[in-house]
Amino acid sequence: MTSFTPTRRTLLKTGTAAAALATFAPAVLRQAVAQGADLAPYKSAKIDWQQTKGETITVAVIPASYFENLIALAPQFTELTGIDVRFEKIPPAQIRQKSVIDLTSKTGTYATHAADPMYYALYAANKWVEPLDTYLNDKSLTDTAWFNFDDIIPAWRSANGINGKLYGMPYDGEVTIQVYRKDLYDAKGLKAADTLETYVSNAAALNAPNDRVWGAALRGLAGAGQNMYIYPSIFRQFGGDWMKGGKLTVNGPEAEAALAWYVDLMRKYAPTAAANWNWPDIADAFSQGTIASYIDAHSSASVINNPQKSKIIGKVAYARWPKGPSGRRTTSIWNWGFPINAALSEKKKKATWLFIQWAASAETQARTAHRFAGPTKRSGVNRTSIWKDPDYIKLMNGFGPNFVEATMDALQHDTDVDWRPRVPQWPAIGDTMATAIQSALSGQATVKAALDDAQRRIEPMMRG
Amino acid sequence: MAASALASAETGNPGAGDFGHALAQRERRFAAALLAPAFLALLATTTFPLIFLVWTSTYRMNLAMPFMNGFVGFENYRMLLIDERFWSSLLISLVYTGTTVALQVAIGLALALLVMDMKRGQGWFRLIAILPVVLSPAVVGMIWRTFMLAPDFGIVDFLAINAGLGSQNWLGDPTLAMVSVIAIHTWQWTPFAFMVLLASLASLPEDIYEAARLDRATAWQRFRRITLPLLRPAIVMVVIMRTMVALTAFAAIFTVTGGGPGTATEILNLYAYRKSFIELSIGYGAALAVALLIVTIVISGVLFALRRAK
Repeated sequence: MTSFTPTRRTLLKTGTAAAALATFAPAVLRQAVAQGADLAPYKSAKIDWQQTKGETITVAVIPASYFENLIALAPQFTELTGIDVRFEKIPPAQIRQKSVIDLTSKTGTYATHAADPMYYALYAANKWVEPLDTYLNDKSLTDTAWFNFDDIIPAWRSANGINGKLYGMPYDGEVTIQVYRKDLYDAKGLKAADTLETYVSNAAALNAPNDRVWGAALRGLAGAGQNMYIYPSIFRQFGGDWMKGGKLTVNGPEAEAALAWYVDLMRKYAPTAAANWNWPDIADAFSQGTIASYIDAHSSASVINNPQKSKIIGKVAYARWPKGPSGRRTTSIWNWGFPINAALSEKKKKATWLFIQWAASAETQARTAHRFAGPTKRSGVNRTSIWKDPDYIKLMNGFGPNFVEATMDALQHDTDVDWRPRVPQWPAIGDTMATAIQSALSGQATVKAALDDAQRRIEPMMRG
Repeated sequence: MAASALASAETGNPGAGDFGHALAQRERRFAAALLAPAFLALLATTTFPLIFLVWTSTYRMNLAMPFMNGFVGFENYRMLLIDERFWSSLLISLVYTGTTVALQVAIGLALALLVMDMKRGQGWFRLIAILPVVLSPAVVGMIWRTFMLAPDFGIVDFLAINAGLGSQNWLGDPTLAMVSVIAIHTWQWTPFAFMVLLASLASLPEDIYEAARLDRATAWQRFRRITLPLLRPAIVMVVIMRTMVALTAFAAIFTVTGGGPGTATEILNLYAYRKSFIELSIGYGAALAVALLIVTIVISGVLFALRRAK
C-alpha cells in the first residue's frame, strides 16, 4: 500500500502484527515451507538458478503482510538458488528516504528495495538503478516463456517504466475503488455512484453526524502518498492534464474544479478528523460503521473484513471510481516494485535479478496469495492469470459483492500512466501539491490561491 | 609524544630551571595527548559537518536534476531572501519561540512560588512535575496527536465538548494547530523552568524578606522589588536555554502536524528538512539550515548581552 504517516494506532497495530509474526510465524512457516517445498515448478524454467550460488543480498521491504508472506517463502528461494537473502523492514514513511540515501551514496546496501513507482524517473535520471530489459532478454538469466512477463498487469509495467525502459518489476499493487455500505445505500434506495456528482448526492443523503454516520471520506493527510494519492484521480477525471503543452501545470480551471469538489466533499460530508486521516484511519472508521462510503485502495478490503475488528462484515459492496465531468474514470496505478541497485557488482546484480524473477513469478505470486499457508493472503497479485484463477477469485469474493469485478474493471479500463506527473522532480512536486491541497482543505488558502501558489513554487523546480 | 618529550629533556642542559621548564612542557604535551582523541572526535562530529553544511549551501545540489549541480556561490541565499515561505517559516519560528518561552517562564515561576509555600508533598510534586521533561518529544507528539487532540475521540476534545465549546479540529485548523503545538511544547518544558526557578527561590536569603515585612511591604511589593530582581539571573538563564531549544525544535511538531495544515505550523527547521530530504534540494536546504544557525546565534548573542548588562 501507499505510504502512510504512522499514527500511534497504526504503529501499534503493525508493530504487534510484526512482532507476532516475527516471534513465531516465520519460524513455524519457514520450517514447514522449507521442508515441504516443492521446487519443481521453478526448476522447469530453463535457466541455471544456482549460477550465483553463495551470494548474499539485502532487500528492503515495508512491514506489510504481502511482504511478510514473501519473507516466509524466502528459504525456498535460498534452497533453489543458494543465494542468501536478508530482509530489512522499513516503515513506508521512511523507505523512500533510506533508499535514496543508499542510492546517492552508492554503498549498495540494498540490492533491491520496495520502490515507489513515482521515484523511477528520479532513479533513472541519476542512473541509480539498472534498466531491467537487459536482464529480461538475457537467455542465461531469464526463461522468457516460463517467466511470461506479458502476464504481469500492463498498467503496473508501464507505471514502472521510463521512456519505454523497465526499471522496477511490479510485485504487489493496488487500484482505488469505491467502497460503500450496501445496507445503508439499499435502505435509501441508492446505487453506487456512477458520476462524481452522484457520489456527492449519495453522501449528502446518508450524512447524519448526530447518529455518528458520515457520508464519505477520502484521504486528508498531507503527503505525496496520501492526499496527493487521491487528488490526482479527481484532477484527471475533471479533465486535468499535468503536462499541458509540455509544461507541468497544476493550476487552471480543471484543477480548481477538481480541488473544489474534493474540499467540498470533505468539509460537508466527512468527519472533521478526516482532514488528518490516511487510509488505515478511514478503513478503521468504516469498519466501526461510522462512514457510508470511501474511495481508496482495493486492498483496504482486508481491513474492513477483519472479523476481530469490523462491525460491518457482509454489509459492504464495491464499485469503480465514479466518472468525472470528462467522462473518464482514473484509478491509482500504485505498485511496489523491485529495481536493481546500479552500485552492485555484476554478480550481485545477477543474484538480485534471480530474486526479483523468483518473487514476481506466477508461482511465487500464487504461493504468497491464495495458496499461502498463513492466515493473511495477498490481494494485490501482479499476474492477470491469477486474477482469473477460480481459487483466487473465490478468496477475493469473500470481501463482498462486486469486489473482483470492480477491481478487474479498474485495472483494465481505468488506469492511466499519467495519473500523476512522472518527472524526476516528483518528490518536490508531490510534497508541494500535498501542502497546497491541505491548505485549501483547512481554509488556510482558497482553492485558487493554493493552486496558483503551488504552480509558482513548482515552476522554478522544473526550470532547474 | 611522551617519548619525544623525554628525549628532548635528556639532550637539554640538566640545569634546575631548565628541568622545571622541560617538566612543564612534558606535562602540557601529555595533557594535549590526553585531550586529542576527544578533541578530534568533536571536530569530526560537530565542526566538520558544520563547515560541510556551509560549503554545501554554496552549491546547487538537487538530486532530482543531478545534471544541473555545481558551485553557485551565494545564489541559494539570494533565492532564500525572495522566498516567501522562508520568511513565513521564520516568522512562525519566532512566534513559536517567543510564546513558548514566555509561557514557560510565567507558568514555571507561578508554580515555583506556589510550591515554595507547600508544607508537605513538595518532593512528590517535583517528581511528578519533571516527568514530561524526560519523555522524548516524538513520543509526546504522538500522545498529543492521538490521545489528546483527535477530534471526537481525544481527551482535550472531550473536555472542550463538555465545557460547551463544541468539538474543535485542533490540528486541522491553521490557528488552532499553532495554539496546539505551542501548548504541547509549553506542557513538556515548563517543568524545566519550574525546577530551575524553584531551586533559585529556595536559595534566596530569608532576612531581606523579614526586613521587608517589618517595613510593611505588601506581598506584591515583595515580589516586584525583591524576588524578581534576585531571580533575574536564573530567569535570564532559563530564557536563553529555552530559546535556543525552541528555535531548533523539530520532533514534536514533526510528529503532531508535520508543519500542517498547509504550512501553518511549518517552523524554519521543518522547512529546511522538507527542502533537503523530501524535495531532495540539498544545497538550498543547507542554506536554510545556515540561516537558522545565524538567527539562533544572533538571538542568543542578544540575550547574553542583556544578561551582562546591568
